[in-house]
Amino acid sequence: MLFRLAWATLTRHRARTLLAMLGVAVSAAMLLDMVMLSSGMRVSFRSLLLSRGFQLRIAPKGTLPFDTDATIPDASGVTRTLRAVPGVATISPVLGGQLHVEVNGRAITSVALGVDPRVQGDYEVLAGRSPAAPNEFVASDDFLRASGVRLGDTVSAAAGFDPQLRSYAGQRRLVLVGRARFLYMPAEQKSVALPIPTLQAMRGSDAEDRASLFMVRVSPGANVDTILHRVETALPRVSVVSTETAMRQVDERLSYFRQLAVILGAVSLGVGFLLVTTLVTVSVNERLGEIVVMRALGVVRGRIVQQIVLEGVAIMVIGALVGLGLGLGTARYLNSILAAFPGLPAAIDFFVFEPRDAWAALGMLTVAGIVAGIYPSWRGASLPIAVTLREEAVG
Amino acid sequence: MSDAEPLLVARDLHRDYHMGDERVHAVRGVSLEIARGDSVAIVGPSGCGKSTLLNLLGGIDHPTSGAVTIDGERIDLMRDRDATRFRLRHIGFVFQRFYLMPALTAIENVELPMAEARAPRGARVERARELLTYVGLAGRHDHRPAQLSGGEQQRVAIARALANRPQLVLADEPTGELDARTGAEMIGLLGRVNADGTTVVVVTHDEDLARAAKRVVHMRDGVVVDDRRQDGR
Amino acid sequence: MVAALLALTLLQSIDSAPPHHAPRTIAIDERLAADAGIRLGDRIVLSSTPDGLGDTVIVSALVRRRADPSEVARADYRVRMHLDELQSLIGYGDRVDRFAVATRDSASTPSAIRAINAAAFGFQAFASREIAVETSRTFLVVSRFHRAIGVITIVASAIFLLCIMLLKVDERRRDVAALRLIGISARSIVRSVMVEAALVAGVGSLAGVGIGWLASLLINWHYRAVYRTPLAFAVVTPGIVALAVALSLALGLAAGFLAAQRLVHVPALELLTGRRERRVDAAAVPNA
Repeated sequence: MLFRLAWATLTRHRARTLLAMLGVAVSAAMLLDMVMLSSGMRVSFRSLLLSRGFQLRIAPKGTLPFDTDATIPDASGVTRTLRAVPGVATISPVLGGQLHVEVNGRAITSVALGVDPRVQGDYEVLAGRSPAAPNEFVASDDFLRASGVRLGDTVSAAAGFDPQLRSYAGQRRLVLVGRARFLYMPAEQKSVALPIPTLQAMRGSDAEDRASLFMVRVSPGANVDTILHRVETALPRVSVVSTETAMRQVDERLSYFRQLAVILGAVSLGVGFLLVTTLVTVSVNERLGEIVVMRALGVVRGRIVQQIVLEGVAIMVIGALVGLGLGLGTARYLNSILAAFPGLPAAIDFFVFEPRDAWAALGMLTVAGIVAGIYPSWRGASLPIAVTLREEAVG
Repeated sequence: MSDAEPLLVARDLHRDYHMGDERVHAVRGVSLEIARGDSVAIVGPSGCGKSTLLNLLGGIDHPTSGAVTIDGERIDLMRDRDATRFRLRHIGFVFQRFYLMPALTAIENVELPMAEARAPRGARVERARELLTYVGLAGRHDHRPAQLSGGEQQRVAIARALANRPQLVLADEPTGELDARTGAEMIGLLGRVNADGTTVVVVTHDEDLARAAKRVVHMRDGVVVDDRRQDGR
Repeated sequence: MVAALLALTLLQSIDSAPPHHAPRTIAIDERLAADAGIRLGDRIVLSSTPDGLGDTVIVSALVRRRADPSEVARADYRVRMHLDELQSLIGYGDRVDRFAVATRDSASTPSAIRAINAAAFGFQAFASREIAVETSRTFLVVSRFHRAIGVITIVASAIFLLCIMLLKVDERRRDVAALRLIGISARSIVRSVMVEAALVAGVGSLAGVGIGWLASLLINWHYRAVYRTPLAFAVVTPGIVALAVALSLALGLAAGFLAAQRLVHVPALELLTGRRERRVDAAAVPNA
């Protein structure tokens, strides 16, 4: 009967109930989005970092991977040292640079990654294959669209310019063998990957035996922090970044979004709370006569409070369920806005849905609904019966 | 408690209110005994304290001083929760303005006290149907109050008051918002309720309703000025 | 090259080692000075590699960096020195990362760009405005994001306002009914509700402006401390205030109008009694 009475009361004023639910839905959508935002970037970035199984990244001292143009000298020596560290299973060196590909008289410039194709963790082959020979390369869809080059084509590529001679430096003829998705590159970035010795040779003495980054995969079951300390001891001239350290750096740089998420989430919850508490208050004030009559008939205060609070919770829960769908939609839209951040890897999402986020939002709204209804309902249920009846009769 | 002992005993009841700076003595030293199965009409001019007295007898108001005993229980000393539970099982209320739950149907309104008393659903629906038939509303179970006339609403209110088989029904101006014909029907219905064994106490301006009662208590300025039987006992 | 600067490692201050030649002077930014405890006149060793030999230099100036929004999130340090000294230190040879060119007047900029690009090989000239647009892309994204959040907030507020007005007007249905019964027109009632809604919206929006202004002070205080920058992160302008107030008023008036309209279309007696009467045609009543 409690549910019946609560539902009947809600459906008695359909317009206001629907509006209140809609208001809660929008608040719930915003709350869900903010919960997703507060952890989404972190979840997405972590997933990206670990997508290929590399837990450590080694960068020039004092820098983050590819944060600067600095490189690590004596790359082969570093590789030998890393191989000797117990617990290191796979080492993937990466050299960054530019590649200028001449097509029909014009130069298409792209970001170039020199990698070891056997162990690389920078791209996924979508068509064709990874380079197997020194003169082979893979490219992103944006590069292929801009250049018109197709799988199997041979192109003339250079790694730099010689302004004195007004010519390209480090020229080679390369064969496109694969189409790839570059995991860490921004959307619309023209990217290519080729064997690291090839790029080192093309870049000349500046890049001889140098690497921008080493990615390290540890042996199964090994403790990542222990390996990290061993590498730091063995290679004091570099910075070793674990996934957790990288996460912390990202957190610091994007702390603004987390803080915004907390503030907007709290405001959304507050708005939903205000809406329900106002609705319950007005609803109680409208039916004081009914409420005290129920007391006169023998319904205890607690039961009356339960019934009224149930109305508030029903609005919150139904609104929240509608808001869930709305929130997923708006999250997609907001994500598409933030995905346009320059330099952001295309694989990164700011809004990542995890079921626990929905539960968290629903839980918060349910509690808010309960709290919103408690005071007005308790107040209404505690009015003196005789006095209220008299006032209602006069009113 | 034997049938010979009164169902309701009120001793030296006082009820004072503060209205602004003024202290109003709504009930002044009223003592009353009502036997089981009796029907009593409390009459008097407006503001004489009759409704206040009814509220005190029903435990929905607390006396400033004095005692109210129903079926051997001092209801004036009960805590709110206990008094509420007592009303649920022992007292039925009928109000001038009916006060049905507008969101519920007629049958659901009658079920409400039984649901509160944890009656099983099947049993309470059956009893609600019986009561609606008893009050003459056999075909109106699924109508909401807004779809019923004043008289029909009051019948539902009476059916609701009888839901948990109370020993005592208290009615405050039950015919106050009804026309003469409907009022007469209500008087007849309350008479039947009393004839079937329920003690009925009504507060009323309605002379016909007062005449139909077995006993009339006259009040003026918060005191009982006359108390006489009309049934020859 | 600028980026390479960030890889430079500052080694320990050397107070006692005798210089081989007159030490060069550098300028460092005040953040680096504060974090590393470096003061004017200190001697430090500058190297392009963590364990390289490096050069001894004297800190001759502390520089406050311009508040550049595109760099606010980067917690890097800056060192300024003569170009040839840096080229020599990092083995860059006769190279630079970029040139900044000032033209005689803005009218001659496009022709200067054309001339440079015609002669250039391996580099390109851009107008400063184009670079600014490119480096502002981050903030364009943030602005779009904020605007989207703003739109969602406005939608939520509109629904909230409408719901509240509906509740408030519904609460007074009997008063409205009584007024209608004594002859007050529906139009007058709607107008009075709208005036009330406008007052509530007006006072509410002014309060909101006050809260927003205080919040902007808090935001600026907080993020200036976090990012150690004099930049303003939140700015309340007269235009923003006017827009917010106008929007609130418009939403409030609309909510009041809709809520009142809903009520005045219900017959007065139905408002009073809560009972919906069915109209009966005389033709339908036998013997009418």
